[in-house]
Amino acid sequence: MGQIDNELFKRLSDAVVDMDEDEAIAAANEVVERGIDAYQAIEKGLSAGMERAGQFFDEEEYFIPELLMCSDAMYAGMDVLKPHLRSDGAAEKHKVVIGVVEGDTHDIGKNLVKIMLETSGFDVTDLGRDIPPARFVETAKEIGANIIALSTLMTTTMDGMGAVVRQLSEEGIRDRFKVIVGGGPISQGFADRIGADGYAVNAADAIRLARALVAPAEAAA
Amino acid sequence: MSRDQMTPLERLAAYGAGAPIDRLPCVPIVGNTAARVIGVKVGDFRGNGALIAQAQVAAYRLFGYDIIRIFTDLYTQAEAMGAKVSYPEDETAFLAAPAITDLAELDRLRPADPQRDGQLPQHLEAMRRAVDQVGHEVAVTGAVTCPFTNASFLVGADKLARLMMRSPEMVHHLCEISLQTNIAYAGAIIDAGCTPSLTDAMSSMSVISPRQFREFSFPYLKRLIDYVHGRDRKVTLHICGKTSGIWEAMVEAGADCLSIDNDADLGEARIAVGDRVRLMGNVHPSEVMLQGIPDAVRRATLSCLAQAKDSPKGFIVASGCSLPTETPFANIHAMLDTVREAGWPVKN
Repeated sequence: MGQIDNELFKRLSDAVVDMDEDEAIAAANEVVERGIDAYQAIEKGLSAGMERAGQFFDEEEYFIPELLMCSDAMYAGMDVLKPHLRSDGAAEKHKVVIGVVEGDTHDIGKNLVKIMLETSGFDVTDLGRDIPPARFVETAKEIGANIIALSTLMTTTMDGMGAVVRQLSEEGIRDRFKVIVGGGPISQGFADRIGADGYAVNAADAIRLARALVAPAEAAA
Repeated sequence: MSRDQMTPLERLAAYGAGAPIDRLPCVPIVGNTAARVIGVKVGDFRGNGALIAQAQVAAYRLFGYDIIRIFTDLYTQAEAMGAKVSYPEDETAFLAAPAITDLAELDRLRPADPQRDGQLPQHLEAMRRAVDQVGHEVAVTGAVTCPFTNASFLVGADKLARLMMRSPEMVHHLCEISLQTNIAYAGAIIDAGCTPSLTDAMSSMSVISPRQFREFSFPYLKRLIDYVHGRDRKVTLHICGKTSGIWEAMVEAGADCLSIDNDADLGEARIAVGDRVRLMGNVHPSEVMLQGIPDAVRRATLSCLAQAKDSPKGFIVASGCSLPTETPFANIHAMLDTVREAGWPVKN
């Protein structure tokens, strides 16, 4: 790989960290013009930048407004690069269905997890907010998801998470999916009680959890 | 269980004056759980101030805590300014859509009139009725959602977060009109014989940085607190989630009592600002109060006592945030009973 490639990847990464949409687009255009592999540019440029932004968030250098702006820059660069992805370039991605459970419309946390999951190479189907349990199950079956990710900020809607797990069990397909939960009132204890596969305290933790949960499948493949 | 020897008003007055008390003040922050006390649906509270008062007074009488807070959800003022709120039949209301979806409509936003708009008149009615029934023995407060948080409900939290970086002046505009609503509502609450109780969920370090708090939240919060002080009322300020980096600013804004969320460290708060403000907190509302057994509540309450019972400006044993609707009564009793048993001076 040439020096120019690496410089461009660094520019993409910095553009994300610096929340600079215009620079992300400019660098992405240059990647395309020079015929550099778009998949690598996303991986080593935009995603790497988002990962750095996530670290800043962990360290309380960045907060939610900064992360949203970083993700805007990442997606701006992504829009330029995506049409140039060679379909055989990327490995089969793990699939995640994500959404905020029924009765809740707080979705900042869910959006961050979605962004970070996409950044980490997951194929994410975002159902949005206020989603009834049955829709999570239907969608997971439909797309053959590996992970169902449930979010809520309100104690009033926590029960919906248990309902998803119950429905999976009732349909005899519980072991086909990993269920992960997160949000303000959720705890590891709650995750254990409803029989979820994992709990994440924040977006960065959710990525670690999702990776860990799909890792055995990868080793077996 | 030993019953209380003093009324909440007597207790808080004596505690404030440094006189002997029977036990520390204790406030499990009961919101819609009050509906369960009188066997009605949460949705029945909508448009029915009399029912809110009946439920809140009944909950106070059942548990014997020290402050009544008239509260159903965070959205009452935003709704009065045009936000759409969904009211499930028997669950807490939630924000369905912000007041404006297009920033071009920004100029259309107006401060709410608490005597006329949305559910505000009914909430004021609830406050008047509660004061009428039990105001001689217990303080009744009315929940006010502070400027920055209310602003997030006017345009949506994502949009507000981006505006902070892209068009700060728009955020200031949204906070300013929210403040006008807050001041009008706080004034009406005081006229109703109550004290405003300030809640500012979005000003948390779980969402914005301390620097952003200084720039966008603090100036309006301070003006709101100045107004309440000008009307001779003390101010309790609750900010959800992590707050350690803004405790100093919360004190500087003028709060008399900080309500510390379960995501923040009560012991640290005592060391950092306990010499200047009263503290309250911070038993976990869902993990302990909703999902725990009474013994877990007892242990969590004792842990809070150990951390802050000797805080120089005083301490109120409380939940870290509003209690979930389905919190078992036994757990609320357990919190109060633990504080009663500990007595005063608090036994180790």
